[in-house]
Amino acid sequence: MSRRIIFICLLLSGLLTSCHPMPEQLDSPSGNFEALWRVIDEHYCFFEEKDIDWREMHDRYAPMVRENMTQRQLFSVCAAMLNELRDGHTNLSAPFATSYYRGWWSDYPQNFDLRLVEQYYFNFNYQQLGDIFYGILPSNVGYMRVPSFTVGIGHGNIGYILNYFNSCAGLIIDVRDNGGGNLFYAELLASHFIPETTTVGYIMHKTGPGHNDFSKPFAIEYSPAPSGNILWGKPVVLLTNRSTFSAANFFVAVLRAMPNVTVAGATTGGGSGMPYSSELPCGWGVRMSAVSILDHEGRVTESGIEPDSGCAVGLDAVAALDGHDTMIDFAVKLITR
Amino acid sequence: MRLTVNNIFFSLLLSVGSAAGRTWAAEPMRPVTSAWTIEAGQVLRANTYLSPLRYNGWRAGIGLERWQAMRFNPRDWVMRLTVGANLDHTLSPARNSVMWGLDFRASWAMMWRNRIDALPGVTLGFGPEADLDLGVLYLPRNGNNPAQAEVAATCGLTAYATYVLRAGKLPILLRWQPSVPLIGAFFCPDYGELYYEIALGNRSGLVHCAWPGSYRRFKSLLTADLRFGATALRIGYRADVISSRAGGITDRVEAHSVTIGISGEWLMLNPRRQLSAETETISAFY
Repeated sequence: MSRRIIFICLLLSGLLTSCHPMPEQLDSPSGNFEALWRVIDEHYCFFEEKDIDWREMHDRYAPMVRENMTQRQLFSVCAAMLNELRDGHTNLSAPFATSYYRGWWSDYPQNFDLRLVEQYYFNFNYQQLGDIFYGILPSNVGYMRVPSFTVGIGHGNIGYILNYFNSCAGLIIDVRDNGGGNLFYAELLASHFIPETTTVGYIMHKTGPGHNDFSKPFAIEYSPAPSGNILWGKPVVLLTNRSTFSAANFFVAVLRAMPNVTVAGATTGGGSGMPYSSELPCGWGVRMSAVSILDHEGRVTESGIEPDSGCAVGLDAVAALDGHDTMIDFAVKLITR
Repeated sequence: MRLTVNNIFFSLLLSVGSAAGRTWAAEPMRPVTSAWTIEAGQVLRANTYLSPLRYNGWRAGIGLERWQAMRFNPRDWVMRLTVGANLDHTLSPARNSVMWGLDFRASWAMMWRNRIDALPGVTLGFGPEADLDLGVLYLPRNGNNPAQAEVAATCGLTAYATYVLRAGKLPILLRWQPSVPLIGAFFCPDYGELYYEIALGNRSGLVHCAWPGSYRRFKSLLTADLRFGATALRIGYRADVISSRAGGITDRVEAHSVTIGISGEWLMLNPRRQLSAETETISAFY
């Protein structure tokens, strides 16, 4: 009897004071490779959409790892494995380099020349607010270039810009080469083009290490800019290219659902997975798409958003030599027709 | 546990302007034993929401402890209130990444105590304890998951053992005080849930039941109070081990600190009540 009591006491004390297990991480070439493979395996969110057999990637790249290889050699193997994800949000950061998958934009025409717009459409005479530049085109169409969502703007700033376009027939919002940034800034700008509170998309996170362990989609609702701010109701054309990525991609997904907005240009770059950070035993940082953001119809936009029907247009290199941005010209026609 | 007023280290609010007051013989006086401490030591912190690696570094903290015999049965019951804060600075195994931790803690316990006749000078006590912890872990290198809130409210068991001895003329109070939580609630986001989603309004599944399967903690405090006249020098060792798991996220804290501080007994007297010569004073420790 007393032995039982002692056993129960030992069991209880062990249960109350022992720690939950955490896997050991070895700082060796193979240990770091395995840690990288595992963190991607457990957190990456687009295996199914991209039809990637991650186990097969392990079997393909693991034999390339040698215990006596240099850090740069190990980095090359790991970076090559990450590139198989074809994801612009996935990086490996070492003290000497950061891996980056460029195929999502480098395999497509750029369709944007900033100098062309600045010189031939504004003669370098435009308004600048933060990193946004804006002005009125000769056809009385407003033009606003938003190069990123990394610089903070406020409702008041947007109000000044929209008020400047007060007499314009419509507005071109140029998000070509906008690589994204902070979703809150994208929401802030979008709120001036949304007439009422709207479900603009959904968000799903991983609930476990399995490739299909996802939460139920949670609705993302955007509301119009607070009262007293300008809401734009005239026609809007969003100009996009393949380098419209991440938060800019979602901005396009949001505004595309508005009735007065037309998306013109080229398919965006996607990047609809919100990045999640982790690290390897050797100290290298890892970033990967881990939270999937869907558009308002529940579709994954990781591979990009196509322009509206009949609005696919590229930058004609020959016309550009004559000072014409054929994508801006197309957008002007859409508004003034 | 009986002391006269003369043995109390400090007396506050003692007033001579209350000659018309009632005598207070029926209710014993219950001095407060309080201690201010600072602590420093080493800590291991790991949180798989932020990183799969264990971070090691230093911990610094301050603490306040307050003991008092309880009103309803001061001979047999004491209560203990503790509040404190810790700052942790830890480095990754590769020493290239810093993780900061900031925690505020408060606990209240009531304990039944008993002197052990067979062991002169030894008092044992145990009872329930309520614990509240508010903290945050911050890993600046992370982008969308740079921080993890650490909030827990638990109830559990605590105990203490004291032993009064003398080193020459110096009275020393030795104390050991372990605690374990048994039930409660703690905050933890889901496996891959970013705080952005929580900010959007998805608050489901953030609070988890704390029980020994999901939330384990062992607090242990060993102190020696060296009485120098009216105050005592407190030196000690504090261990705090936490291990929790929820939503596939494991959190671990292993902290070992040296504490040093001052303690003393304080007595609050009501100037409207007159003390009787027979008024009993019941200390939490002595």
